Amino acid sequence: MLMMSRRQGEIILIGDEIEIVIAHIGRSRVKVGIRAPRQLAVIAHEMKLVGEENRAAAQPPPADALKALLIQLQPAAHTLRSQADESSVRQDAGTKN
Amino acid sequence: MPVLETASFGNISFTPESVFEFPRGLPGFEDRRQFVPVQNPQTAPVVFLQSLEEPSLCFVTLPVLVIDPQYRLRLTDPDLEVLSWQAERQPRIGQDVLCLAVLSFQKSGPTANLLAPVVVDLNNHRAVQAVAAESGYSLQQPLFPQEAPLCS
Repeated sequence: MLMMSRRQGEIILIGDEIEIVIAHIGRSRVKVGIRAPRQLAVIAHEMKLVGEENRAAAQPPPADALKALLIQLQPAAHTLRSQADESSVRQDAGTKN
Repeated sequence: MPVLETASFGNISFTPESVFEFPRGLPGFEDRRQFVPVQNPQTAPVVFLQSLEEPSLCFVTLPVLVIDPQYRLRLTDPDLEVLSWQAERQPRIGQDVLCLAVLSFQKSGPTANLLAPVVVDLNNHRAVQAVAAESGYSLQQPLFPQEAPLCS
């Protein structure tokens, strides 16, 4: 990986069309401006990871895995019910036909 | 009452008011904007998020507080905007928003995405999957890290 040191306000160029501006350097975070062609998706890395995780999560769980989860959750289920009673959380639910 | 055909539950009926609206979809599913929560006593506290647009798409979720009673929700400004949240303060789990962790069933056991919970405004049912990049929460938090024997 190419490593580069830059100061606030300085710019990095990638090819002819991508410009990265170090807009602000704070105590623990850096604000970065990105100028790139519209057709290039610019997203935070976490967003991509969450997308991949969602795709994995969208696979239907094996029936026994869901069953095992529900058995493990029994104690939690009881605490949740009592918590829900106390705070009267409104949860609209689809109902099974 | 509209009836929805689903892969997981067969035909389910739901009230239009119960639908969660995701104006930006979910990461990886940007064009899936409407989900209906499905709950029943046999599977509590699990909340299934069934897509209205795609019968085979259904997420298995748990309220984050079931997984971590101390869970701290901190939404970014753009996410608050998606919910149309006006107040200065952050919304509270249970009072203002429903906060669900999406589960994933790995070979090693189920994990919960605590990094990016699904947050639903209880008032208007607008929803967003809120990536809390700086929270330190895990994308794949094992639900049962130490397998305790069920009976001794």
